[in-house]
Amino acid sequence: MDSPSYSDYKFVGRVDHVKTFNTAIKSICFNDYAVLHISDEGLRITVEQGRSIQATLFMPPGAFTEFHVQDFQSFGLKLNDLSECLNLFGSADCSIRIMYKDQGECLYLILYPYDDEDVSTECAIKTMDCEEPIDHDMNLKDPDLNVIFARGPNLYKIFHELDKSAEEFEFITSPDSPYFKITTVGVLQAVFSVEVAKTSSMMMMFNCRQTVTARYKSQQIRLTNKAMQAATKVAIKTNSIGLLELHLVIQGEGQEEIFVQFYVIPLLNSVD
Amino acid sequence: MKFRAQMKDPLYMREFQNIIATLSKLSKDCLMILGAQQMHLIVNEDQSSTSSPLVWVSIAATEYFPEYVMEAAHPDQDYIVLIMSSANLGRALSFLRGGGANSCKLKLQRIQFPCISVACSLLSTSSTEARDVLYDVPVTIIPASDWPTYVVPRVPPSQLALVLPSLRLLRSLIDKLKNMSPSLEFQANSDGELNVVATSEMSTVTSRFKRLLPRFLSADNDREASCLVDSRKASAFFTALQLANEELTIAIDREHSIHLQIDVRKDVMLHSILPAVCA
Repeated sequence: MDSPSYSDYKFVGRVDHVKTFNTAIKSICFNDYAVLHISDEGLRITVEQGRSIQATLFMPPGAFTEFHVQDFQSFGLKLNDLSECLNLFGSADCSIRIMYKDQGECLYLILYPYDDEDVSTECAIKTMDCEEPIDHDMNLKDPDLNVIFARGPNLYKIFHELDKSAEEFEFITSPDSPYFKITTVGVLQAVFSVEVAKTSSMMMMFNCRQTVTARYKSQQIRLTNKAMQAATKVAIKTNSIGLLELHLVIQGEGQEEIFVQFYVIPLLNSVD
Repeated sequence: MKFRAQMKDPLYMREFQNIIATLSKLSKDCLMILGAQQMHLIVNEDQSSTSSPLVWVSIAATEYFPEYVMEAAHPDQDYIVLIMSSANLGRALSFLRGGGANSCKLKLQRIQFPCISVACSLLSTSSTEARDVLYDVPVTIIPASDWPTYVVPRVPPSQLALVLPSLRLLRSLIDKLKNMSPSLEFQANSDGELNVVATSEMSTVTSRFKRLLPRFLSADNDREASCLVDSRKASAFFTALQLANEELTIAIDREHSIHLQIDVRKDVMLHSILPAVCA
């Protein structure tokens, strides 16, 4: 397919280096289906598992070398297919063109590896209608949120060292000591906890107004691992009932930024 | 019956080792047909797994072996036909991998059982004396009455052939495509374009290779040819390849097979056939 005339397509986007995009997609690849939203604001890919964890990849138009969109486009597709297509050339660097004609049409991805200009790969991924994901953003608009900004690599290390056999993780964010604490209760009731002081060098910003204690399924927290590994900055936000948002920034070589957000619903407090 | 061959050139020894290493990754057994001027090595489609394709190598004896002696069991016979474990042969030649070998001799002899003795003379950095490594690979001698079942495969006819200058991208692509689709379609046209198409339930992936050199084989210069093959078989071939050569000829026999050929040297050729499958 040669360079498209934009009027035929509702969306045309070009990314010079596929690597960061690929890493970001892989980091949210925990369920089969994803919903894509494309508008003037950028490209959003949302994945849910059950109704308790949601991940959204967000690429602002600035993360694209070229970005043209008409109206608001929304459709679903198989995320694995998208990830496999982006990964076709393995470690060889490529540029990519993404095109979408209209509802019911395929999403086209064309990869051009830099090593060989006589080679290209065109992927046509079938799209489908999809249920709209839950909008958690509404619940995290309150002014009295607990917000922590931390350096990605440090936080990844902490998350990575959490007890893998534990069923549940408890997060405490508080304006007073212990500030930020994660506790895991593993098999045989082995308790492990990490505390991070607000003066720690890994904290970039610390703004907590109330003490929030909430428990999450460890399996769901672990779904954020791949994204955390690639993140340069992470924002941790919780509201008073413990709805957790992890907002990660993944930075590419060209300094373009891709954002990945995770919303995790807390477990109900056990009655004891 | 007598067979003896010797290699002296480090480059040729390395190539020979790479050829054997390739074959040993494909199948348990390796068939060796020794002619007066040629050595053929053949691995069949493996019975235990359906994923390995038929691969064979024809080596002109004079190309690799300054010394090559073959005497068949009877004066009226032209061949010696042997079967051996390809892993054993690969291990026997693995000493050539480092490149520190002086010479390598292959000899058919009977110890308690028939075997090919591989004798490598290796130079070591710590000593001036060469070190000899002897490895006996047991073989089964195929009697002349059974030869009709053990023949060197013939290159199939084809309507269109293209020469791919570099294998690297195709190799990694096919490795990824095999996870998407059980079959791959190879489409070639005389403008030098090769398309590899993988179709799955929800996606179609088309990889285009442009500006390839066409090699016309049939008289009625066909413009296009395509063939659908098993993607695991194709992947098995590319994954097994240990040769440094990058140039590959892809010849398509419409709806029958794809013939892959790598010219290691002028008279040393590696072939494979990927049979067509139904869509």
